[in-house]
Amino acid sequence: MTDPLGLIDSTGPIRPHLPLAPSGSGGGSEISFKDVLMKNIKQVNQLQQDAQTAIEDLVSGRRDDMDAVLIAKQKADVAFQTLLQIRNKLMDAYEEVKQMRV
Amino acid sequence: MIADLLETGSIPVLERLVQFTGARHRLITNNIANLSTPYYRPQDLDPDSFQVAMGDAIAHRRRAGGGLALSDTHQLHFRSDGIDARPQSMDSNILFHDQNNRNLERIMQHLAENTLAHNAAIEFLKSEFDLLKTAIRERL
Amino acid sequence: MFGSLDISTSALVAQRTRMNVIAANMANMNSIEDADGNYSPFRRRIAVFASGDPSRGSDWGVHVSEILLDATPFRKVREAGSPYADAGGYVEYPNIDPTMEQINALEASRAYEANITAAEATKAMIQASLRLLA
Repeated sequence: MTDPLGLIDSTGPIRPHLPLAPSGSGGGSEISFKDVLMKNIKQVNQLQQDAQTAIEDLVSGRRDDMDAVLIAKQKADVAFQTLLQIRNKLMDAYEEVKQMRV
Repeated sequence: MIADLLETGSIPVLERLVQFTGARHRLITNNIANLSTPYYRPQDLDPDSFQVAMGDAIAHRRRAGGGLALSDTHQLHFRSDGIDARPQSMDSNILFHDQNNRNLERIMQHLAENTLAHNAAIEFLKSEFDLLKTAIRERL
Repeated sequence: MFGSLDISTSALVAQRTRMNVIAANMANMNSIEDADGNYSPFRRRIAVFASGDPSRGSDWGVHVSEILLDATPFRKVREAGSPYADAGGYVEYPNIDPTMEQINALEASRAYEANITAAEATKAMIQASLRLLA
């Protein structure tokens, strides 16, 4: 079970246990938030590339199923908008934290 | 950088399709207008050769980068902001007694296909531009 | 794109002119006197189409280039007692066959409808393009 703040182990004073460096692909059971974010950015990028390839193939005659291309484009756009919203909420949260008087 | 924003995606591809369908629409409309004209031969643009030229240009852009550069076909001359067309007769039908080889059903089919392709390209262009504007605005 | 509407409209005008010619033929199927009362059987008229639209100075579209008189011989009907009978007792009647005129009328209205469809397609394309901005 992960214990990012180190509170369960009560043998010493409570110290925040923050990930100091990105764990990367060989980083054991911890998945940093940065990895999650990068993975999602890559997924959105891949969806956009797929949609663009689908449109190009439709125009150049390599495929003729317009419905599938429409759906691929919609998926890519929804994924992008979701990522944009996540980014906005992150920025808002960061702004809020920045405003906090410590 | 800003030009790349508009040149590397599917926007130039769809633009060329809209230019092609626009040029072809005028020819098809003229064919329908001259259904009863003696000695008239219906003229058309071949969509297959346009698609082949488009496929080659897209493949080239994927390999070498840069903008979309279409090479002229025997019917089409690609300018920077449009297409000049040299239509050819579609002589795939019997010659009627008035020396007109119209094929009404084929012509109407071409009209429907061309209109649908044009409208679909416009819809895709609209969603491309909407996506860019959403990203620029940073708000949905 | 708006030029396409001109092309379709020129075709609608030409086909309507042709319908008027056909209607005149049908109405005058048995007219053997002209407006002044002289003996002059009505000769069938034919509307001849040609591509291009000179009234707009355009090479596209279609127009009625001339209205020909049909040179086929008149129909001879035996009416020995008629004041217009010739030496053999035959009167000449207009060279108009109602079946032919009806078939031509059908074809003209079919072409008219096809051009209406083309004009509607042009309008739909222009409207779709306008939605690009909205």
